[in-house]
Amino acid sequence: MTEQSQPPDLTGNRGMQQTRETLYHVVFFACAALSVVTTVGIIVALLGDALSFFGSYSIVEFLTGTQWSVLSNSFGVLPLVYGTLIVTFGSALIAMPLGLLTAIYLSEYASKQMRSVLKPMLEILAGVPTVVYGYFAIVYITPFLEATLFPSISTFNALSASIVVGIMIIPMVASISEDAMSAVPDSLRQAGYGLGATKFNVSTRIVVPAAISGIASSFILALSRAIGETMAVTLAMGSKPGLPSSLHPGELFLRPYSSMTAQMVNTINGELSGGSAAYDAVFAVGLVLFVITLVMNIVSDRIASRYREEY
Amino acid sequence: MAAETQSDTDFGEVSQLKGILFEYLSLGASLLGILSLAALLVYVAVDAFGLEAADPLWFLIYFVTLVVPTLGFVGYGVKNRAVGTVGGTSLLYLLGGLAATLALSILFIIFDAQQWLLVYTVGVLPAALVFIYGRMKEWQQANLLTPIVFAVGSMLGVFLKGPLATFPQKWIIYLWTLGVPVAALLGSRALNRDGRDAAVATAVGTLAIAVAAALAGPALTGLNSDVTLLLGLFVGAPTLAYVARVVRTGHDGVAGLLMPVVIFGGMLLGAFVVQQVAVAQPESWVTWSYFTNPPSQLSAEEAGLFPAIVGSVFVITNVAIMTLALGVATSIYLEEYAASSGLLGKITRLIQVNISNLAGVPSVVYGLLGLALFINGLGLGLGIVLVASITLSLLILPIVIISSQEAIRSVPNELRQASYGMGATRWQTIRNVVLPQSLPGILTGTILALGRAIGETAPLLMIGAATTTFAPPTGYFDSVTVMPLQIYAWSSQPSDAFRYGVVAAGVVTLLIVLLTMNSVAILVRNKYQNES
Repeated sequence: MTEQSQPPDLTGNRGMQQTRETLYHVVFFACAALSVVTTVGIIVALLGDALSFFGSYSIVEFLTGTQWSVLSNSFGVLPLVYGTLIVTFGSALIAMPLGLLTAIYLSEYASKQMRSVLKPMLEILAGVPTVVYGYFAIVYITPFLEATLFPSISTFNALSASIVVGIMIIPMVASISEDAMSAVPDSLRQAGYGLGATKFNVSTRIVVPAAISGIASSFILALSRAIGETMAVTLAMGSKPGLPSSLHPGELFLRPYSSMTAQMVNTINGELSGGSAAYDAVFAVGLVLFVITLVMNIVSDRIASRYREEY
Repeated sequence: MAAETQSDTDFGEVSQLKGILFEYLSLGASLLGILSLAALLVYVAVDAFGLEAADPLWFLIYFVTLVVPTLGFVGYGVKNRAVGTVGGTSLLYLLGGLAATLALSILFIIFDAQQWLLVYTVGVLPAALVFIYGRMKEWQQANLLTPIVFAVGSMLGVFLKGPLATFPQKWIIYLWTLGVPVAALLGSRALNRDGRDAAVATAVGTLAIAVAAALAGPALTGLNSDVTLLLGLFVGAPTLAYVARVVRTGHDGVAGLLMPVVIFGGMLLGAFVVQQVAVAQPESWVTWSYFTNPPSQLSAEEAGLFPAIVGSVFVITNVAIMTLALGVATSIYLEEYAASSGLLGKITRLIQVNISNLAGVPSVVYGLLGLALFINGLGLGLGIVLVASITLSLLILPIVIISSQEAIRSVPNELRQASYGMGATRWQTIRNVVLPQSLPGILTGTILALGRAIGETAPLLMIGAATTTFAPPTGYFDSVTVMPLQIYAWSSQPSDAFRYGVVAAGVVTLLIVLLTMNSVAILVRNKYQNES
């Protein structure tokens, strides 16, 4: 404290400064720790109610039951898993090839100017609110499909949901895959050209295999996003839990189903105060959803870091 | 490339066809998603603005007066970067000012202006003065005193509300509580750039413009004097200051100042010509009454988005404050303080992994968190502003943290070393070097994340937010609806007037808000990229 009176004062009030530095350190650490608290909160919230659900409802029946109905108190998760899977599968059919080709184009073919235009536009696809995508699906896409390709399509159907979710996750596949492809060193490409390969050969046989870990992790991340997608699926596919009666594509795609997320939103509506079996069942479904997406994210992360070729 | 263009018979034929086909295939794939979304957007815009009713001549008029000049100017700006920069910046000032005016007018629907006047006068202002005084005189204790003054003063302000009976008009409150700080801010910026005279001129000019707008505005525009004051303060004054600076310094891109003139002039000219020619105009659902009416389930013509717009602005403001504070603090810790070894290093790695995993948790799960923890755990009300804000903040916090970390990481280490070399402590280095350098990146990432929050629906449904409310919220414990929830509620209405009219208008409104936020983010980034 005495330094203050002795000129020249180069260090300032050090005692005060020390406390202040420590204080800021502690405050910042507390903020960072909040994210861990959030995770713990999520796990506690999900586990708490899910456990009380499994206390009164058999976990085997939950996992293998083929009927979800709040009225008859039967909570079989299979129909919901089917709804989620069919949308994820359909959207993957759209987003994976389109996203991968987009990534190849952006990283190998596009001029710098083209890239600077295309990349922000692609980001817009992911930036449109999902409720808007859902509105597009029921108001424009389903009537369009009904008028052109599938006259027998239902108002709510898995196909339109798959289309909008597919469009939504293209940027995710494209941007992560493109990062992986851009990280492939130019010397590999030059070596390919030196051996007489065409640009097509270099792109598909050298760059894509070299970036395969990044591409795989982008696929998994996009799938996990599709699994967790709620509003677009709720609006487009409806929330009528059921299983298809045959493996005919029309039966698989053109009928209304309900995904895990859609059913969570729909079931919770009347049960907000808690305590009922349906309320707890929603948390059980949430727990399943959380675990699936968490595992996928971790796997994607592992693939990206473990199998990445180091250049 | 050489292998493709020239092939000798000795090396065999190389077909170019496959390569060319593949290139166009991949280009087509890149465009497919974009074009399908564009088609959907065109459809919804046609429905929302009722463009089917418009005469082809109407399109032609606006095409000639607005679209062609704007596109031409943008093309010129791309070629001549200086002009483009000035054009973009002037648009940023106008858009940002308009957004600030709108947001503040809406916030003062929720918060009591008179209460704010008292809290500001005895709490915020003295605290700010103490802080600035401490800064100028290097008086360390000011840092401790500032929060105390703020807390005591604010509480005093709340208690004063009862005994005091008369209050000045609303625009005078705005002038004192918003005009003076803005004038001081603009003045201090001018002080750093151009010296004392310019600073005084800027500050006095700002206040003069605000007063003039409040006095003359209502007669000219038909708006309230408090709204015109805000317009003068946030749109007029900063834009004029920018224009003055560009003109005075003889910037190369001085022609870029014409950018807003071209756009707004084109709109006015188009409107004028349309009125003169009397062609059939579109029957738009996006009207003034749509923004000011409460929602209606029965009459599509009377349905409005007012409570949902107010709710969205209120919730997003809270989310912005919470995520900026927490996100920046967390990213500073992870980038500047975190140890890389030992027990703390392990904890840091855990936090980092945890954040990237949180970013992948589905939004509906955050809704469950809010429901179980805040509503059924703490006993807060269903779907109230406070719970909605906290839930959305937790949802976008990981995104804000990750983008802020990237911004902080991109600050060159030499700058930090130089600061340490001059004897600065870690916090001083962060405050004076790291944060100013990374602020544009942090802001850009935060605005983009807020764009995600403004469109979120599922977590709000899970916490029991009402899909339709007929009055805007008046406080943190009021139930709230936001724009996407209202869209969701309306989209189950069977009638065509709702399906293709009212909902389409809601979708367009939401998208315009998002587009404005994203453009501001991009303009902020470009402005600072060009400057550095």
